[in-house]
Amino acid sequence: MKIGQETFFTLELPYRERIALERAVFEGGPGPRVAVVSGLHGDELEGLYVCHRLAGRLEALAKRRPDALLGRVELYPAMNPLGLDTLQRRVPIHDVDLNRVFPGHPEGLFPHRLAHAALRNLLGAALVIDIHASNVYLREIPQVRIARAFEGELVPLARSMNLDLIWVHEAVTVLENTIAHSLNERGTPCLVVEMGVGMRITPAFADQLVTGILSLWQRIGALAADLALEPLGHAPLVADDSNVHYLNAEVSGIFVPATEHWMEVGRGDLLGRIVSPLQGEALGEVRSPVAGVVFTLREYPLVYEGSLLARIMRTGGRP
Amino acid sequence: MTERELLHMTAPMREDFEIPYHDVGPREGLPRVALVAGLHGNELNGVFVLARLAHFLRQIEEGRRKDTHLLGRVVVVPAVNVLGLNIRSRAWPFDGTDLNRMFPGYDAGETTQRIAAALLRLTEPARWRIDIHSSNVDFEELPQVRLYDPSDEERRAARWLGLPAVIERPVNATFSATLANAWRERGGHALVVQAGHAGGLQPAHCERLFRALVDFLERCGVLAGLELAEPDGDVHHFGSGHALPLISEHAGWFASRLEVGQWIQAGELVGYVYDGFRGELRAEIRAPRSGLLSGVRRQPLLCEGDLVARVLTREPVGAIAGTDLMGHGQ
Repeated sequence: MKIGQETFFTLELPYRERIALERAVFEGGPGPRVAVVSGLHGDELEGLYVCHRLAGRLEALAKRRPDALLGRVELYPAMNPLGLDTLQRRVPIHDVDLNRVFPGHPEGLFPHRLAHAALRNLLGAALVIDIHASNVYLREIPQVRIARAFEGELVPLARSMNLDLIWVHEAVTVLENTIAHSLNERGTPCLVVEMGVGMRITPAFADQLVTGILSLWQRIGALAADLALEPLGHAPLVADDSNVHYLNAEVSGIFVPATEHWMEVGRGDLLGRIVSPLQGEALGEVRSPVAGVVFTLREYPLVYEGSLLARIMRTGGRP
Repeated sequence: MTERELLHMTAPMREDFEIPYHDVGPREGLPRVALVAGLHGNELNGVFVLARLAHFLRQIEEGRRKDTHLLGRVVVVPAVNVLGLNIRSRAWPFDGTDLNRMFPGYDAGETTQRIAAALLRLTEPARWRIDIHSSNVDFEELPQVRLYDPSDEERRAARWLGLPAVIERPVNATFSATLANAWRERGGHALVVQAGHAGGLQPAHCERLFRALVDFLERCGVLAGLELAEPDGDVHHFGSGHALPLISEHAGWFASRLEVGQWIQAGELVGYVYDGFRGELRAEIRAPRSGLLSGVRRQPLLCEGDLVARVLTREPVGAIAGTDLMGHGQ
C-alpha cells in the first residue's frame, strides 16, 4: 500500500500567498476508487475528524494487512481551507457557499475553479461520501440525505453505513448546485452525511460513521472481503417529506430543551421552553405535534420567531 | 400615503422590529407597481432611492406638486433586510441567510422564509414589480435592467426605465430561489435592476435610478402630469450571451481609471495588475472585444480568477464561464 499527500488545486491570492488544497491518498490494488469529502463549509469540523480516523485505520492496515486495500482511497478533508482557518462557513473573499457553485468552472472565480477541480478529481470514483456537520444552530443525529431522484441507487448503499436515519427528500432546485447532485447526475454515486453540530466534533458519531464507511467500502470491493471489521450497531429509519415534522419557534427568546437528542417522544410531550432573561415565566412551550423520534435538535439557544427548534420523524400513525 | 407594516417580529433580546413599507396612491384595488430594495442589507443605492421616491410620491399625493397626479396604487419597500441594514450586513444577520435565496418562502418556516412569504404576498398582485440591487462591495455595475428569459411585454416595460442597458440572462438554479423568479412564476412582469456597488452610495447612479423609476411610473400610467426630462441616451438591449466577463489570471493589485457606461474598443486598456508584494506590473488588462463597459472592479485586491470588468457586446460571445458565475450582487 502506498500512502501519500498530494496537492490537487492551487490558486494565487493577492499578497504573496498561493492557497493549496491537499488530499491524502492510500493506493492499494487496482480495485474500486473511493473518496471522502468534508469541510465544504468552514464551520463544519465533524468530517475532518472522520478523515483523521479513517487515515488512522488505513495506516494501521498498511502495517497489518496491506493487501487488504484492494482499491484506492482519497480523503479530501478540507475543501474550504480559508473558511476553516478563519471560522467562516462560506468561502472568504468571495463570500460564496462552496456547496452552491457546483459543477464550477475552470475559468470562473476562486470558488468555481475549486469546485471544478474537486469535481474533476472525484468523477469516476466508485463511491464518494460528502460529510457535513449541520451548522452552529442545530445538532443532527448521524444521517444520510438522499434526493428522491437518486434514491434507487443510493438507499441500498446508505443502509449499510451504520447510521441512524436516511432522509429521502424531494427535489430542490438550488440543491442542483451541490457537489453531491453534480456527482450523482454524472453517474458517480455520492452520499451526503449530516451529523453533529457546527464548530464542534462529536467523536462517538465519527467512530460510528467510520465503522459504516469501512463496511461499505468492503461491500463494494475496495477492502478485502476477509478483512475483519467491527459489526454494524445501527440500522437506519427511513424518513421522507411525508413523515418529517418541523418545529419552528413561535416567539423569540432563549430555547431551553426539555428532551434529549434522538429520543422517542409522544404526541404532546414537552420538548422545551422559550424563556426571556428579563422574566421568570416562560414565553412559550414547545410540544411535539406527533409521536416520533427527535433527529434534529436546537443547539444554539438564541432563537427568533421562525427559528428551527427540532425535526421529528413520525413513527406512529398520522396525527 | 400610508406607512404600513409588512411584518412585525419579536427579537430575542431587543425591542420588536418591523419591516415597514409605503403604500401610496388610490388605496382601492390591487397595487399596480411594487418596488423592492434592500433584500441585501448592504446594497444601499436602492434603499436610498426608494426612500427618496416615497417622499416624492407623498408630495404628489398631498397635492404639493402642481398638476402631477398619482393614478394608481404603488407599494414601496425600501429595505427588506432591516436588521442587516442597520448593522451593515448583506445577509440576514442572525444566521447569515441570503434573503434573496428564500423565495417563495413559507409562513410557518424559518424567519427568513416568513419574511419572503410576506413580501411575496404583498408584491405579487402588482402588475409591474421591480427588485433593485447593487452589486457586491467589490464590483460597480452600470445602472441596468436584468431580464430572465423575458416575455416581450417585459422587454418593453424594461425600456420604460430608460436605463442605458437592458440585459437578458438565462434562468438558472440559483435564480430559482429569488424574489424575481417567484414573481416570474406567478405571471406578470418581473424586472431586476442593478446599480452601483454595495457598501456605499454612488450619487450619480442614485440620481439616474430615481429618474428611471419616475419615468417608469409615468409610462405605465401611474403618474400623470409630469414633464419628463430628455433621456440621457439610448437604451441598449443585450440578449443572453452578450456579456463578456474579463477575468484576471494574475493576483495582486488591480487599478482602473475607467468609468462604467463607457463604450470601449477591442484592445483598449481596462486596467493594470501589479504584484501584491514586489509592486511590479504583472499585466495590462485589455478588452478583447468592443462594447459597453457595464461593470468595473473597485476592490483593488485581486485573486487569480477574479472578475475585473464586464463588457456588453453587440455580437454574442457565448456562455463564457456561464453569465451567472460572476459575482453575486443579486
